[in-house]
Amino acid sequence: MTDETEEIRMAQAGDQSAFGHLVTAYQTPVYNLAYRMLGNAAEAEEAAQEAFLRAYTSLRSYDPQRPLRSWLLSITSHYCIDRLRRRRLTWLSLDDEESVEPERLASDCPDPETVVAQQEREARIQQLLATLSPTDRATVTLRYWYDCSYEEIAETLHLTVSAVKSRLHRARCALAETVEGKMNYAL
Amino acid sequence: MSARLDARLDGTHVALLEEHLATCRACLAQWRRMQALDGLLAAAPMVRAPVRLRVQMMARLERRERTRRAIIGSTTLVLGTVTLALLVLAPAAFNLLSATGIAPALISGGPETLAQLLALLGAIGRTLLVLAERLAVPLALLSLCGLATAAALNSLWIGAVRRLSTAR
Repeated sequence: MTDETEEIRMAQAGDQSAFGHLVTAYQTPVYNLAYRMLGNAAEAEEAAQEAFLRAYTSLRSYDPQRPLRSWLLSITSHYCIDRLRRRRLTWLSLDDEESVEPERLASDCPDPETVVAQQEREARIQQLLATLSPTDRATVTLRYWYDCSYEEIAETLHLTVSAVKSRLHRARCALAETVEGKMNYAL
Repeated sequence: MSARLDARLDGTHVALLEEHLATCRACLAQWRRMQALDGLLAAAPMVRAPVRLRVQMMARLERRERTRRAIIGSTTLVLGTVTLALLVLAPAAFNLLSATGIAPALISGGPETLAQLLALLGAIGRTLLVLAERLAVPLALLSLCGLATAAALNSLWIGAVRRLSTAR
């Protein structure tokens, strides 16, 4: 039995410390998904916490045959999709939102110019993602940041594989148009 | 094109796509846009979770579990008290109903039932007043005993749950 399987079993029995170890192991994938979906560090932090709390509550129904990461990403993406749908009524533009810069994994103390370039690229990516519908946003995020296959995305988002293909294609076309439009505008 | 970016096209379809792109400028432009986008997204790093996330999440979890335990404990306490009170009062209530004739009237029915019921309700009120006067001290003691028993059962239950959680 692996350490993770044992920790899951202990967490299912109500051991909060074992669950804490699982949180440590998966906090970055869960947080990153929430950040990519919501586009705001503070909201992403709150959403990641809520996703873990929901996971703890429904841990007894977790099927150990399924990868834990996939199960946690499913909870997080559904929570973020619901949150984005609720947000539509009181939506603020990205420019108005509090821009709290999150930490990145691939930053080995780069120089200030690189940091600025990274921040600009990140802002551009988040603006692009924000143009997509919540489900398309989740599809693109799972494909690019988690290297999920069509089948894994379908299972995570409760879609069919053909729906995933179609959403991914549609999202890429839309994003490609937006990227080009922004570049032309910048010129 | 999307399938090609995800390496989901077999050799035949890749060749067909490339053949088409060689002759169609519009599709080639679209393909280049999609490749640029693919490169942009693929290069974006994973965002690291803040250190405080785990600490805050565990604190929220602990608070929520405390609240849940308190709600279950209080519910057990109330249910225990109500059950004990019912067990103590049920025989007295049954005797009261029989003595005042409510039970026969309700069972037999008939046009005079309503009038009888009203009269009997008055009788019940009077009887309760008499009972309250005479049984005030014993009832108060019984209620206290019920509360103490329910509290003891509640603490035993919480202790058992904690021991079980620790043992697992």
